[in-house]
Amino acid sequence: MKVAPTLADTTRSEFLKFRTVRATFIGLATFVVLTIGLAVLITLVIKSNWSQRPLAEKLAFDPVATSLAGVFFAQFAVGVMGARFITSEYASGAIRTTLAAVPRRVHLVLAKAIVLLITFLIASEVVVFIAFVTGQAIYKSGHLPSMSLADGTVLRAVIMAGVYLTLLTLIGFGLGLLLRTTSTTISVYVTVLLIIPIIVNFLPSSWQDHITKFLPSDLGASMLSPTSSTRSFAWVTASVVLALYTAAIVAIGTVTLVRRDA
Amino acid sequence: MLKIDHLSKRYGETLAVNDLDFEVTPGVVTGFLGPNGSGKSTTMRVIIGLDHPTQGRTTIDGKTYDQLKAPLREVGALLDAKALDPSRSARNHLRALAMANRIPLSRVDEVLEFVGVASVANKRVGGFSLGMSQRLGIAGALLGDPGILLFDEPVNGLDPEGIRWIRDFFRSLAKEGRTVFVSSHLMSEMAVSADQIIVIGRGKFITSGTVDELTATATGTVYVRCADATRLTEVLGRLQGVCEPVNDNGVSVSGLSSDQIGEAAMAAGIAVHELTPQRASLEDVFMSLTADSLEYGHREAGVTP
Repeated sequence: MKVAPTLADTTRSEFLKFRTVRATFIGLATFVVLTIGLAVLITLVIKSNWSQRPLAEKLAFDPVATSLAGVFFAQFAVGVMGARFITSEYASGAIRTTLAAVPRRVHLVLAKAIVLLITFLIASEVVVFIAFVTGQAIYKSGHLPSMSLADGTVLRAVIMAGVYLTLLTLIGFGLGLLLRTTSTTISVYVTVLLIIPIIVNFLPSSWQDHITKFLPSDLGASMLSPTSSTRSFAWVTASVVLALYTAAIVAIGTVTLVRRDA
Repeated sequence: MLKIDHLSKRYGETLAVNDLDFEVTPGVVTGFLGPNGSGKSTTMRVIIGLDHPTQGRTTIDGKTYDQLKAPLREVGALLDAKALDPSRSARNHLRALAMANRIPLSRVDEVLEFVGVASVANKRVGGFSLGMSQRLGIAGALLGDPGILLFDEPVNGLDPEGIRWIRDFFRSLAKEGRTVFVSSHLMSEMAVSADQIIVIGRGKFITSGTVDELTATATGTVYVRCADATRLTEVLGRLQGVCEPVNDNGVSVSGLSSDQIGEAAMAAGIAVHELTPQRASLEDVFMSLTADSLEYGHREAGVTP
């Protein structure tokens, strides 16, 4: 009797699938260029008009968050990639071949999630560190305030920026499991990240204080800022809340996959 | 042993499969025959765990598909040749399947070679013709050297040479003692490629047997050409024979043997010029068996609602 396959085998299989389509590399390249490119662009713009800024603005300047601002654009690239890792299988019909090979559907979700988690954690951390270092170098060259990774809170903020992107990749994946089509998934993902904050903005400000801090983008802002504000969660709480969102969405997506016909 | 155990499957209002209950035996090619929409694909989808049964179940050696640890080593299936990611190469597609089931990767090149797509193994499958995709799908089904093989409408998209190849291939798989379960809506295809046939219509079991058994169940007709067809119709009518005019002096008689017809004609003094028993073709049998179970039949043709 030959040895039965394990979760490790399913994960290896999914990793092979992940790295053998061109879309993966196009997506990763877009992600890298967006995050690092925007860090360069934003920090250069700030550097060039620094002397015209009022003093109050100069004092409130956050060199860490501004160099990591590309993260809030890159979150769309990673979310789409996370979603497409499952929705593209529905689009082509390949999901039927996949499920015939791996009928234990929970295994399949775990394998895909592990592939995304490992790949995007590494890619995101590399990208945010490059973005940070590049941004600080640009600030330094213009004699602007800059920060060093030797500062513990700064190091934490940069690391959490990568964690934020990894969690958003998995949120995209979870929504993809639930919704199955790429277009619907991206619509919902964009609605959650962009449209809901706009709607919340129209609510009475006493409500806003309670709701805003729960929005993914605000959780992200708390995670990658070295300072903390009274209106938002501390970085630890923000990370836990976002991780819970991610777990909940992936869990609901898994239940849907297990219950429904392929 | 592949067993369909009182299987029913409902999609919303439609009962696609209605209490199907049969076993598919190893060592022979079993044809799964029925008109389009009769529930063949649904049954196959349930067998490989894609769809959940509404009632009943399907088992492989007593286990449901999702209980199989390495399903591709026990069941190989080709349901939809185009159900794969178009941007991946044929080799990588099979390597991913092999890895997930702990099948040695050396097996990938073996099956690619066997089905004749080794020369395009590194090409993206999106560019494959339907025939090439079918061959790749067969390679995928054979990957784990399984004892049970399922093919849903496998001859679609194949050229005549490919059809011939696949028929011989099914026979050789069955000869090796495997279970080969092949669906088709074409009776003529089943007649030449299957040993055993299971006929379904509207999700229900109709009949099963060998090709010869199925044709034997249908009574043939007798073609009679004679001097006075009108009188012969009258005479045979008294004996419960049904005559249908074929041409000016020829009728097709059902319900009576050629012996009975000849004797009745002689007794009535009608000169018979020709008396030919017509054996029912498998196609006729199939048509008569499934006539009232066609999902999209032609029964109402010509009737304007």
